[in-house]
Amino acid sequence: MKVQVTKSADYSVAILEGRVDTTNAGELERAMSEIIEGGSNKIILDCSGLNYISSSGLSVFLLIQKKMTPLKGQFRLCSLQPGIREIFDISGFSSTFSLFSDKESAMKW
Amino acid sequence: MNVIFSFLPVILLLTSLYLLDSFNLVRAKTLAFCLLWGVFSASCSYFINNSIQDLLNIDFSLYSRYGAPIIEECLKASFLIYLISRKKIGFIIDGAIYGFAIGAGFSLLENIYYLFQAPPEYNLLTWIIRGIGTAIMHGGCTSFFTILFVGGINRSESRFLAFIPGLLFAILFHSGFNHFPFNPVLQTLLVLLILPFVFGLVFMLSNAKLQKWLEIEFNSEVEILNMIRKGNFSSTKAGIYLKSLKEQFASETILDMYCYIDLYLELSIKAKRNMMLKENEFPIIVEDDIQAKLSELGQLRKQIGKIGELALAPLIRMNYRNLWKLNQFT
Repeated sequence: MKVQVTKSADYSVAILEGRVDTTNAGELERAMSEIIEGGSNKIILDCSGLNYISSSGLSVFLLIQKKMTPLKGQFRLCSLQPGIREIFDISGFSSTFSLFSDKESAMKW
Repeated sequence: MNVIFSFLPVILLLTSLYLLDSFNLVRAKTLAFCLLWGVFSASCSYFINNSIQDLLNIDFSLYSRYGAPIIEECLKASFLIYLISRKKIGFIIDGAIYGFAIGAGFSLLENIYYLFQAPPEYNLLTWIIRGIGTAIMHGGCTSFFTILFVGGINRSESRFLAFIPGLLFAILFHSGFNHFPFNPVLQTLLVLLILPFVFGLVFMLSNAKLQKWLEIEFNSEVEILNMIRKGNFSSTKAGIYLKSLKEQFASETILDMYCYIDLYLELSIKAKRNMMLKENEFPIIVEDDIQAKLSELGQLRKQIGKIGELALAPLIRMNYRNLWKLNQFT
């Protein structure tokens, strides 16, 4: 798993690549927490390179969402591969997160 | 000081157990009912025990060793049997906490009674022994009753006789405690050291089992359900296995099995989603049709029958009871 972060004045974009499972969910949590602690309250997670996510990964997404709530921040997921999008749709998580088909639409705040 | 030592240890242990429930399986309302049931059982036990002793003219020491444990453990256990029969308890974790709460309620009333009735020679040590030893013993006995009962049901699915080993264990443990085989202080120390350790171990193992279920199966279930919804189920390993059952079962049963797997997967995925939401303190999502789907699943389960259910065991990991319980999150 790789997380590449780009920060701008208004928001941060994290590009997530590879698999997120129980072995590396903590790593993702730390990377995302650093972004939040750095003062970003608008985060876009680009999931175009994410090819597998387990429940541990989804829990990290929930945790980030939870951390953003008191900051009145926004956490958006974009460019999910069809297989990953299905996980969200079938499990009903689509309504919990803000999902966008691509980065451009996610960047319209 | 006497009051603190009489009540605090059992309340502290109950709170610790409640906090260990990381999946939030315990409902505060049911927990409160369990505490009240404990209080009610203690008052009933008082009258029943006194009546039996008067009627049979038995010595108190003899009765407290052999008679009282039977009456008290049966009374405490009866509410848990009711909760399990109504599928309000599905897992060892919630069962153990509810069981301990009943024991805590029981010992709270018992200790209040002793506080008012205590002869002047009772010193602080007596209250420490009562508050730690006896109170935790009461909670522990009822808790282990539930652990064994739920464990038995999860293994055999039959609840009619599954409560007997747990009840026997609780009665024997209680009776053994009342025999005071060791010095009371040593006995209290043993209870204080052993029971929390055993609880910790049981909770750790149960949590690990739930976590494994959540982690490993979520994705594979989503994948299979997706294949079913797209009409590609027969090309999956699960589909090939279901096809292989055609020779042993009637076509209608195979269709019911197919529907059962479809519904089971949907409900299992949604239950896992809600567990994740609860774990992260998010409001859970309750779809309007969940109850109807659970009823349908139950109906399909009846139609498939026991043998059909056994045939589906390689595809269905979690038993019906636990799945039902997880979908009761509100």
